Amino acid sequence: MGLPVWTIAVGVVVLFLLVWTAWTLTRLRRLEARVDRARTALESQLRRRAALAAEVAREGGVPLEPARAAGLARAAAGASLPWTPDRELAENVLGRELRGLVRELPRMAPALAEDLTGTAQRVALARRFYNDAVRDTAELRGRRLTRLLRLHARRPLPRYFDIDDSFGELAGTAGSGRH
Amino acid sequence: MRIGIVCPYKWDRPGGVQYHVRDLADTLRGLGHHVEILTPAEHEASLPAEHVTFAGRTVPIPYNGSMASVQFGPISAARVRRWLREGHFDVVHVHDPAPPSIGLLVLMIAKGPIVATFHAATVRSKFLSAWGPVIRPWLERISGRIAVSDFARRLQVEHLGGDAVVIPNGVHVASFADGPQLAGLERGSGGPTIGFLGRFDEPRKGLPVLLEALPGVLRRHPTARLLIAGRGDPAALRASIPPELGEHVELLGELAEADKAAFLRSVDVYCAPNLLGESFGIILIEALAAGAPIVASDLDAFAAVLEDGEVGVLVRRGDAGALADALAGLLDDPDRRADLSARGREAAWAYDWSVVARRVLAVYETVVPPGGGVVTASEDHAEVAGLPGADVPSRASLRRRVRR
Repeated sequence: MGLPVWTIAVGVVVLFLLVWTAWTLTRLRRLEARVDRARTALESQLRRRAALAAEVAREGGVPLEPARAAGLARAAAGASLPWTPDRELAENVLGRELRGLVRELPRMAPALAEDLTGTAQRVALARRFYNDAVRDTAELRGRRLTRLLRLHARRPLPRYFDIDDSFGELAGTAGSGRH
Repeated sequence: MRIGIVCPYKWDRPGGVQYHVRDLADTLRGLGHHVEILTPAEHEASLPAEHVTFAGRTVPIPYNGSMASVQFGPISAARVRRWLREGHFDVVHVHDPAPPSIGLLVLMIAKGPIVATFHAATVRSKFLSAWGPVIRPWLERISGRIAVSDFARRLQVEHLGGDAVVIPNGVHVASFADGPQLAGLERGSGGPTIGFLGRFDEPRKGLPVLLEALPGVLRRHPTARLLIAGRGDPAALRASIPPELGEHVELLGELAEADKAAFLRSVDVYCAPNLLGESFGIILIEALAAGAPIVASDLDAFAAVLEDGEVGVLVRRGDAGALADALAGLLDDPDRRADLSARGREAAWAYDWSVVARRVLAVYETVVPPGGGVVTASEDHAEVAGLPGADVPSRASLRRRVRR
């Protein structure tokens, strides 16, 4: 009568694994979507920053030395590489050029200066939210059971995006995370 | 932008989070956004007629030093679902989503960009470190996290995983800066006054230290008075004050919002002798805005607000001697007081709701995809049928998966 105990035990384990796998796959899928969204947001803010930098270099209304304007334009153009470590380097170069402009902000056209500050803030926010999504993904992918069952194992892990996004006092206090 | 804000605490009970949500919503509306609020309440009739939706009654449990509102089950879930469907929000902003409340329920049901603010300050870490992993699958859905202080952020990083941007609480600076003073207690009339505001029967608020320091102040300023405002049992407090101090201590009881501002404008020095456990010194910001010179204990949160002593005097917590010296020294020196008052008013503007709400708005704009993302309710009924448990939601998705 009835099934042997070990059959039931195996059944329970298999059921647990199935349920756990389905749940984890759901979480991974959601996280993937979140990483994608966060990356889109970050890229659009970075593009916006590059476009503004190019505008400042062209006609910022600030008397920039030609060498500096050229450097800024070059940095802005460089910030359109694919999503690789080189992109981080290029964004860092642009960030440095822009930080050099902080003192010129009061002499810039007010709308442009405000745009630049606002965008710098949003780059910092978007980068933090992106890295946050990457961290959550890495945590779940790194679990022993996830690795053992090879869930999403063939997909590349999303990369953290590390740049120095501080920008003067204004952007700094707006949560660029230098705490 | 269409914004849905979720407040997990009863709307008709006084509380920092409730005020925060109310003021944030008002400021965002002033900036031209459409804001809807979902909140539990003791009485549905006490909610404003428009833009606030009743989420049901709740079962209170102690959390974060006050009472959290536990709210779970199919009826609450149905309410959340309806609110999300009818709201067509671009972004949903959940406050304190960690306890098993309406906030967590929204995290389970909503699909789309979600922002969360963590207020929690004095939560037992033991509770959080046990509870954090359980709710992690739902916290993962948050696109942007905000903490109201470095302290709240640390708690979040350590126990709930993930980072957060720090955006402080807001204050309506103008309503504190200008207005009448308390009748009969105007600044400069009678002897110098020291103000204390808070639940005076809670030892962590530090009133006993201030009372211990008072004789030292009176030695140099014999006409000084201590004004105590806030909730608590006045008889018990009276009994704890030595008789020789009696005539120098005045109990004002609990103050209404307008009187609180008048009180802060009236005192010569505001004193915050707290011993521990403040996540955020909102009262200090209100005092700064009202132009009250401040002496406060050196808690991290207070030091942050007072810019490490630039706009107020910091003393070692629990040190009555140092407190007496600082208070008497400040009462001695009208120029210093005027200087602190002026710099304090200036510093308070960084916390004005007009500034803070714009920073929150920048977070919304960062998480909402270009072209707007509409938040909806997931179809997954099983997901909220029971308490958060890993196996409940997965069955439905498993079914879907098998069918494919």
